[in-house]
Amino acid sequence: MSAGMNRSQGLSSLKRKQPDSKSPIESLTEHERILYNLIRSKQDMAIWTRDMKRETNIPDNVLNKSLKSLQAKKLIKEVVTIQNKGRKHYIATEFEPSKEITGGAWYVEGSLDTEFINFLKKHCVKIIYEQKIVTLEEILDTIRRSRAFNVEFTTQQIEEIVNALVLDNEILEVKSTGMGEFNSIPIGKVCYRCASKAGLKAEPKIGAMASIPCGVCPQISLCTPDGIISPTTCVYYTKWLDF
Amino acid sequence: MATPYGIKLAVHLITNHFGNLVAKVCENLLRRGPLTLQQVIRYTELTPQQVKNSLLILIQHNCIQAFSFESQGGFGDGPKANTQYLALFGNILHRMRFPKFLEIVSRELDQECKELLEGLLQNGRLTLVQMVERAKSKRKDGCREDVVQEGLTKLLAAHFVERCPAPEPLVPEPVKVETTSKKRGAKSAKINEESETIEQRVLAAAGPMEAQRFSMITNTEFDVNGETSTDDSPSLIVGEKRKRDSLELDRESTAEEGEVVLWRANFEEFLRRLRHMACIENVRASLDDGAVKVLKAKLDATRGLEKKVKTEKSVPLSLDNIFEEVIKSEEGRVMTLDDVRASLVQLGCPASARGTADSYSIDLKKIIESAQNDEVESIVLKRYGRDAYRIFRLLSKNGRLVETDKISDTTFVEKKDAPKILYKMWKDEYLHMEKLVLAPNRNILLWKVNKRPLWEHVLDEMFHAALNLSLRAAYEWDKEKEVINPLEAMTKEERQKQKNIRILLDSSLLKLDDAIMLFHNF
Ligand code: SF4
Repeated sequence: MSAGMNRSQGLSSLKRKQPDSKSPIESLTEHERILYNLIRSKQDMAIWTRDMKRETNIPDNVLNKSLKSLQAKKLIKEVVTIQNKGRKHYIATEFEPSKEITGGAWYVEGSLDTEFINFLKKHCVKIIYEQKIVTLEEILDTIRRSRAFNVEFTTQQIEEIVNALVLDNEILEVKSTGMGEFNSIPIGKVCYRCASKAGLKAEPKIGAMASIPCGVCPQISLCTPDGIISPTTCVYYTKWLDF
Repeated sequence: MATPYGIKLAVHLITNHFGNLVAKVCENLLRRGPLTLQQVIRYTELTPQQVKNSLLILIQHNCIQAFSFESQGGFGDGPKANTQYLALFGNILHRMRFPKFLEIVSRELDQECKELLEGLLQNGRLTLVQMVERAKSKRKDGCREDVVQEGLTKLLAAHFVERCPAPEPLVPEPVKVETTSKKRGAKSAKINEESETIEQRVLAAAGPMEAQRFSMITNTEFDVNGETSTDDSPSLIVGEKRKRDSLELDRESTAEEGEVVLWRANFEEFLRRLRHMACIENVRASLDDGAVKVLKAKLDATRGLEKKVKTEKSVPLSLDNIFEEVIKSEEGRVMTLDDVRASLVQLGCPASARGTADSYSIDLKKIIESAQNDEVESIVLKRYGRDAYRIFRLLSKNGRLVETDKISDTTFVEKKDAPKILYKMWKDEYLHMEKLVLAPNRNILLWKVNKRPLWEHVLDEMFHAALNLSLRAAYEWDKEKEVINPLEAMTKEERQKQKNIRILLDSSLLKLDDAIMLFHNF
């Protein structure tokens, strides 16, 4: 089973938690309080340790100690940012990191959850190939009924996935003409169908240029008839013609 | 679009077919634009005789066209000194398409016609007498003149062969646009020239009148024709008059030499067929058989009415007429009127047209553009991978500048990978990039697919690749000959392998040329 399937974290962004009623805030040191207020003030955007230092002028060792203590008191937590994984960022526990920080629904721990995304993509393709022509709502509905995922998807999320499939050229986006196969779909409504007419999954056609060595050659701009790199001495050709 | 590698490829073809001297003359014309005899002699440093002979060969093979400017300043005499020679880049490239042209004729007409066309392709231009002679020498049992005449008539009716253009038409000097602002004068004059290239103007002036172009008239009929055109003369507009003048020149020479109507292959018609075939193949890949049949029937019916190769929309035809065309063929007979209508909708014709008398026209330009997109996208996929493919398709569809972050979000490409992929494609000129400075050290990058320059770049790479294929094929040929001659002969397997290599190289070149035509001619 896909790792992404039993994950629900991250799918609902910006969730506010109630702070503990017995707040440990009173017991904070002066430095801890300054830091905590600063981190809190950044809300769901989190803050980088280097920026904390710049804004508060607290020396390194004190800063690190204070952060540890705040973490132990569960007032702040460390978050991974997708932009700069190496940079330590902190956020107040009452906030969930923003989409800019986490990358949004499709990220776990700052990395794109490719396994999960691919699983969902495959699932959508299957639905489209089974039903020939479908609208976005129908895809979402089929996913809900299939119970293959224990997370709820929004229409927007499925739209993002379907759009990526269109870019992959695995499916086509078409507008209903209301005739023939579009019979049950109102005219003008956007729907999706399989990219190959036979309903079989096909790789995009390899063009004339892409099927010869020069068409995909990284050296083509350096290659000249009598140069060091030339078609008569070319290793790509030798490999290609060695059948 | 004679791109740098396009010119190299053209010169390579001419070198292969006619040797270095002719190629040198041709290369200078291709690189420098139209030149006079004296200029060619100066630039090539060849003897006048060598240059003259080379020019004659190139004219014979329709690779250059002579012309002179109508001098307006009263320097009426000595037109010969002003004769200029213009290289016809497109025609030179057609030389690698001869097998395709021959195949079309042998499929649509007969063996007789194919042989006649072969003669024209090999010799560039021939008179009827020469065609008869050639046919006679080719066949032991002898060939009757009327058979050749009949074949030529068929070729003319199908527009596969045409009358040669005037040897040296007069072309009006380019009109300089008069502008009040002096500074911009030169620039707008240039723009005006570009709107109709010198090549277009020369070819328009040289071409025979449409009525003459495909008609086989004997001398006596020609006279009759001449009389009618004299009758018409008061109503002739300037353009036609000019053509008539050049015809008169022709007639003078006719009087001198008797039968001299020269015939040649009509490349334009072959290209039109190949373009239609490309459209049909592209539709076949994405739509059902019905759509293919309808498109084919429609193109067959209206081909003769197309004015130019790059016709954007097929000539309008009513549903009744389309249906009539479709059911002419055996495979089309199974279709009903409703099927045809549904297929037209699939082909992008608006569904609203309900009446059978409404006319339909299919957007051929769109079909060609989609084929071009497919070709480029498949290069991107092979060269840069699946993530890049998705990114490229996003930008290509979108057509506007998109920032890096948005790109990685929409295409599901890891944030840290997207910039690398984008940068690589940008470096290879597949993408256009713009930097947006938000704050002193905060800027974002925006990316875009700029189709026009990109298509030209891809075309140039294709010319480059075609040249490489051709050079490699020649190299393999040499290798084979070197090995065959010496004592140590090739084994049977080696010979077979060598043969397969050449088949692969040749067929790849023909296929690549289809793609070149897609970007260059269609
Ligand atoms: S001949 Fe070889 S090196 Fe040159 S462009 Fe082609 S594949 Fe690249």
